[in-house]
Amino acid sequence: MILNSTPVRTSKSFKINDIEIEDVDVKIQKFDGLKVSGDIEKFSISNDVKKLPLVYGIGKKLENQVYNNANQNINITFEGKEDKDFYLEFNFDDENDALVGNIEINAKENSKATIIIKYISDGMKEHYNNSILKVCANEFSEINVVIVNMLNNKSNNFLSIENTLHKKSHINYTVVDFGGKASISNYYSNLIGQEAKSNINTIYLGTQEQLFDINYIAELKGEKSNVNIEVQGALNDSAKKNFKGTIDFKKGCKKSVGNENEFCMLLSDKARSKGLPMLLCTEEDVEGNHSSAAGKVDRDMVFYIMSRGFSYKETMKLIVKAKFNNIIEGIKDEIIKEEILNEIDKRI
Amino acid sequence: MKNTIKEINRNVYDFKNEDRYDFKIQKGLNREIIEEISKQKNEPDWMTEIRLKALEIYNDLELPTWGPDLSELDMDDIATYVRPKTKLNNNWEDVPEDIKNTFDRLGIPEAEKKSLSGVGAQYDSEVVYHSIKEELVNQGVIYTDMETAVREYPDIVKQHFMKCVPINDHKFVALHTAVWSGGSFVYVPKGIKVDIPLQSYFRLNSPESGQFEHTLIIVEEGASLHFIEGCSAPKYNKVNLHAGCVELYVKEKAYLRYSTIENWSKNMLNLNTKKAIVEKDGQIDWVSGSFGSKISMLYPMSILNGEGSKTEYTGISFAGENQNLDTGFKVIHNAPNTSSVVNSKSLSKNGGTCTYRALTQINANAKNSKCSVSCESLMLDDISKSDTIPVNDIRTDDVEFSHEAKIGKISDKTIFYLMSRGISEEDAKAMIVRGFAYPISKELPVEYAVEMNNLINLELEGSIG
Repeated sequence: MILNSTPVRTSKSFKINDIEIEDVDVKIQKFDGLKVSGDIEKFSISNDVKKLPLVYGIGKKLENQVYNNANQNINITFEGKEDKDFYLEFNFDDENDALVGNIEINAKENSKATIIIKYISDGMKEHYNNSILKVCANEFSEINVVIVNMLNNKSNNFLSIENTLHKKSHINYTVVDFGGKASISNYYSNLIGQEAKSNINTIYLGTQEQLFDINYIAELKGEKSNVNIEVQGALNDSAKKNFKGTIDFKKGCKKSVGNENEFCMLLSDKARSKGLPMLLCTEEDVEGNHSSAAGKVDRDMVFYIMSRGFSYKETMKLIVKAKFNNIIEGIKDEIIKEEILNEIDKRI
Repeated sequence: MKNTIKEINRNVYDFKNEDRYDFKIQKGLNREIIEEISKQKNEPDWMTEIRLKALEIYNDLELPTWGPDLSELDMDDIATYVRPKTKLNNNWEDVPEDIKNTFDRLGIPEAEKKSLSGVGAQYDSEVVYHSIKEELVNQGVIYTDMETAVREYPDIVKQHFMKCVPINDHKFVALHTAVWSGGSFVYVPKGIKVDIPLQSYFRLNSPESGQFEHTLIIVEEGASLHFIEGCSAPKYNKVNLHAGCVELYVKEKAYLRYSTIENWSKNMLNLNTKKAIVEKDGQIDWVSGSFGSKISMLYPMSILNGEGSKTEYTGISFAGENQNLDTGFKVIHNAPNTSSVVNSKSLSKNGGTCTYRALTQINANAKNSKCSVSCESLMLDDISKSDTIPVNDIRTDDVEFSHEAKIGKISDKTIFYLMSRGISEEDAKAMIVRGFAYPISKELPVEYAVEMNNLINLELEGSIG
């Protein structure tokens, strides 16, 4: 399968325009591993989801699989400004090994909520997640979305996200991308409203032979809109990562600002990091910045921590956790934070 | 009040001579045409074979599936070889009047007297003038046209020709190899420092034709050289094609600075390829100004093969109306302790498109390597376009890699600040744009920095609003 194409092509020889992986043979059955919790009564839940084509998405084949064979269709709608949380926990095990999910989140005007979505593997059997998440932020609404991928390293994780942001709406994402033999994610934000704001903060941790292909696209159309993309990652063993980030200033998005920052910490000389941070601009009165960096852990820092009695492995764990801390701190739920920190310990 | 930033004044370059030639090959591209070019050039068989092999590769390769639209390029409408009505001369007085006048107007003989140690001048498909200072010849420096090099230094040419840039690199490299003509050959022997630059100037006068010059430079161990190339053409209604190729070999502890001021006419498709291989502790610095052409696809490349080798790229592009300049830089770190510094700027105006496209690849063996990339794009109006498309591919942990890019317009705050100091809005904008371009212009020889400033030709006349 050829997946996750960039919105603008560059030379084929750079091998980053798309990712090719082997077809995944999966038997889709009922998925009973969903646990829902939080302030459920403050949300309106149904199975009524639309099947509108994605503007980008990971790929048509996977999109069609969701629209034709989803075993979880969930529509979450909310209103009101008071703080409220909604948890969707997808637990994969031997019985529930394949999720094909279609989730829609609809924030009504002037509303606010936090949605936490977790994908967790129990056991080391190969699991499969192919999900679409569509988020619509109506005027003056604010949505915080936390996505935690803690699938095992034998699994395949495909996630297509599409956000529509209306006037003065905010969508803030915190993405923790740790699991999957292949974890392919596509995130598209369509900022059509004036002063709409989209933040995405991502941490990824690659170990063993894991492959991450992350494709973030933000199109700024409304005046004074704002996009911030912050990606922090660490790669150990022979893990590979492709990060493709596009900030596209469309004509008319005057006084808009887009920032993109990516840093990849290389913990092994076999790890491989590829990046394509793009700025596309057809509007004069904007400000776009991107920066990306990669390198190994600072030797002086390692020496200092080890001189305090920590082993090399413990030192690496501390440094990775410290690097990820800014983003992890954005999650309110202390239990989830603890789970993420434990997962880092487990994986390094 | 209206504020305008004018585009490049092209009058200096747009004059055209009558299309007089000694021989012009029929339009199109096939085996017979290639054989005829080879015959006209009286080439050895080995070169004819390379050309024919390249034609096969050209036919097999696809057009790029990315970048600017090249659909208007029709090889059946391009004459790939035009021999001017003169032989190679080493005295300007022997060059026919119309061709000599062309280079006079471009200031080449004057520059030769003032600030160059050698000059090559190509008119259409052949080099018409070549000179080099006597003392360099005595030191063993060779600076001649490529045809002479093929005849007189076949072993060196065979060893290096299309080895740095493989024929199958892309479709236009294959095309170049099949129909190449003219260009420069420079050989700087071990330890020789060429303190004053050499310059080759490429002028395409003939309509519906192409220029495919080949530049091959070898700087031996411990030697150094500054090479400058300039290019221009008058504007015609149909497209012209430039698909040159530059191969640079920088040996151990050698240094090469390669400066280019490209100012092709706005009917030119400029699909040029430039690569350098750098050995241990060697250094290649590129200075590049791209102002002309309808479409440019130009990405000079440094391959840092030797431990401790270095490269710097300093480039500026200015795209105006109907121009699509897709430029950038590629570097491969292929040895330990290598380093690269990239500094790119672009300006787009009047509906012009500037794209910075790049590759930084740090291989697994390039331990302790460092790379720093900075690119800035300035939009001078709201009908233009500016894109930044850089790829980084890091294959080892022991590196320091950083990339930063900015895109935007001239800051209102900065204009306000300057105006509050009594500077007019026009002058304030002029100062800001010149300041933006300064890091690039300061890297050029003085004469070229002045030319670049003229090219940018910022004129804020009249009125604002």
